[in-house]
Amino acid sequence: MTFNRKHAYMKMLQQGFVAMLPLNLAVLPWGILCGSLAIQRGFSELEAILMPALIFAGAVQLVFIELMSDNVPLATILFTTFIVSSRHFLYGLALRDKFKNLPLRFRVSLGFLLTDELFALSGNRKAFVGKLRLIYALAAGGSFYLSWLVWNIVGIVAGNYLPDLTELGLDFAIAVTFIAIVIPSITNLPVLITVVTAGVLSVVFTLAEWELGLVLSSLIAMFSGYLTASKQATLKLKKGNES
Amino acid sequence: MTLLTIFLLACITFCTRYLFLHPKLPLRIGAKTTHLLSFSAPAVLTAIWVPIIFVKDNSFDSSLSNPYLLAATVAIITAYKSIETE
Repeated sequence: MTFNRKHAYMKMLQQGFVAMLPLNLAVLPWGILCGSLAIQRGFSELEAILMPALIFAGAVQLVFIELMSDNVPLATILFTTFIVSSRHFLYGLALRDKFKNLPLRFRVSLGFLLTDELFALSGNRKAFVGKLRLIYALAAGGSFYLSWLVWNIVGIVAGNYLPDLTELGLDFAIAVTFIAIVIPSITNLPVLITVVTAGVLSVVFTLAEWELGLVLSSLIAMFSGYLTASKQATLKLKKGNES
Repeated sequence: MTLLTIFLLACITFCTRYLFLHPKLPLRIGAKTTHLLSFSAPAVLTAIWVPIIFVKDNSFDSSLSNPYLLAATVAIITAYKSIETE
């Protein structure tokens, strides 16, 4: 019995790791960019390591490095970080019912590990429910954390020998990762509407240089998808009544 | 000072991730909100990747000379084909 359970745990650890592996590799260029940029902009090795270890958010790290080296006031840095991070509120809301009754250590660990990538793995309705799927989530999130840390450290070590990587188009790695996650998830009209709305609005808001654009375009897109689904449901009901 | 700032930023990112997982927060999510939130993953991820492809130096670039656009097209077709074969 105990052997079986242990075996199941091991299997879930392994599956979580395998599921996250493509994303662990896909953030390699992004991690190296963050680590090397920190060194090139004059941060110490300790500071550069603490960024991925404690903050653990690529977009925030990058914004922080650039703002700090431009001597921007602390209040602006904190506010910008809050805005860039605010999309995580949506992830927390979406996973609230699954996580809120977990023991503290699980909740805090998964909260800490709740990146775009871990959230992307939670698409299935059953995802992260029950102890085995939690172990899966912890393995996926934990391996992503370690990978992020290692890629950053590679960047930190190589930072003094590498050229400025910001112009090399490494952000494409992020884009292609999310394309690979989003496109296969478009299986019905509401999701298609969501994706198109989010795409159009996010471009408009980015061009307007609006920091809140990411969250706002996401929210409007979610409503568009939701309304499409409701409309579809009503139409179906009507049709059913007529026939 | 820098260390303190890093610590503060870590607190902010952690709070944005953890806040709604906290059980003591007086908030109940109904069926409608759950349905709405089921669209959050495609919405947020798309709002991140599309501007990376189309916005270059603060202007819209949909020309064929935009390498990101060409590569993204290949990626989208590949991702789409992968559902068909499943």
